Amino acid sequence: MSFTNGILNLTNWAGNVILPTLAALFLAIAVLRFARSESYAAAMYGAFLCLMASGLLRAMETFASQRAWNDPDVYWMSLVSLVDWICNVLMPVYAGLQVAAGALRMGIVTRVHPTEGWLRHFVVAGLCLLLSGLVRLAEFFVAHGTAGIQ
Amino acid sequence: MAVPQLLNDIIQVLLQLAPAASLVALVLAGLSLRREGGTTFLLGGGFTKWMLWAVVFITLVPLLGWFSSFGVATPMPSGGIGTAWLSSFQSDVSNFVTNFIVGRIGTTLAAYFVLRAILDAASGGHPLPSILAAMFLLGVQATYSLIQSYNTGTQFATADVLDSLWNYLAGTIMPIAAGLAIVGAILNFATKRPAMRLVAVALAMLCVSGIWKLVLSMEA
Repeated sequence: MSFTNGILNLTNWAGNVILPTLAALFLAIAVLRFARSESYAAAMYGAFLCLMASGLLRAMETFASQRAWNDPDVYWMSLVSLVDWICNVLMPVYAGLQVAAGALRMGIVTRVHPTEGWLRHFVVAGLCLLLSGLVRLAEFFVAHGTAGIQ
Repeated sequence: MAVPQLLNDIIQVLLQLAPAASLVALVLAGLSLRREGGTTFLLGGGFTKWMLWAVVFITLVPLLGWFSSFGVATPMPSGGIGTAWLSSFQSDVSNFVTNFIVGRIGTTLAAYFVLRAILDAASGGHPLPSILAAMFLLGVQATYSLIQSYNTGTQFATADVLDSLWNYLAGTIMPIAAGLAIVGAILNFATKRPAMRLVAVALAMLCVSGIWKLVLSMEA
């Protein structure tokens, strides 16, 4: 018996046995919340995440190995990789979901008016795809701010 | 003047009891680990104090080499323990520590910590600190062997062992703990509690050596 084996097996048990089991519980909670018109997104996405614990750890390992282990910038680069992955991989996928949600809402709601909810979905989709541009825009404003008003 | 045999034997007994003292220190370190948090430990607290003593006892003979470099002669008695009752005393104490304290009491305490983990969860606390302390107590013998394998036998053996233990923590334990942090982040997210802190911690656990180099480069 060693402490290393103990903590390793504990992690494997929690990630590969308990979390997939809890995924079903979180899905049930999501359904119940949905039935009562409450916010169900956290439970639903939580259930998916429970099934992806190993994959997420592998993703973190990939982010953390962008530089050599003894590079002082390794933590900064791992955070950059995480932000890059969220903004350029996950958010475009979320944009696709929002476009689909907007289209569904537009098809169901007969009125076509800018104040209807469907417009919000399309705006969100656009913003998701414009994240890098928005950051560059903010950087542009700040850079010109340091130069002073001409 | 020749050193009396009894004095040599007493020195031999004390030196040969150092491994037993180290095992006792490791058990006490396990108890302190739970008292100080379980998932973390206080620098300068009970856990670090007993771990340091465990390392000092294991590297006691190389550490005595410093006295020679200071100009103080430290003749180490050679051979075994000549006095029968002292030899018997040393053997009995070693057996007591190995078979009773580590073999039985340590395991029983670990079992109590598992029980404590369930009670902690029942009272709204977190079970992980008690579970980790239980695992530490169950792994005392393996931890002792690990520390012993890091003993370089030089005058710097104590520092070498502490360095190797840091490497072991940073390179072996922390990447595994990163998995636990991800599990915690997922559970926090699903239950609408703050999760980003644990994601950042998981990344930090995978980059411990890099962060150490970062601190060194900042200091330079």
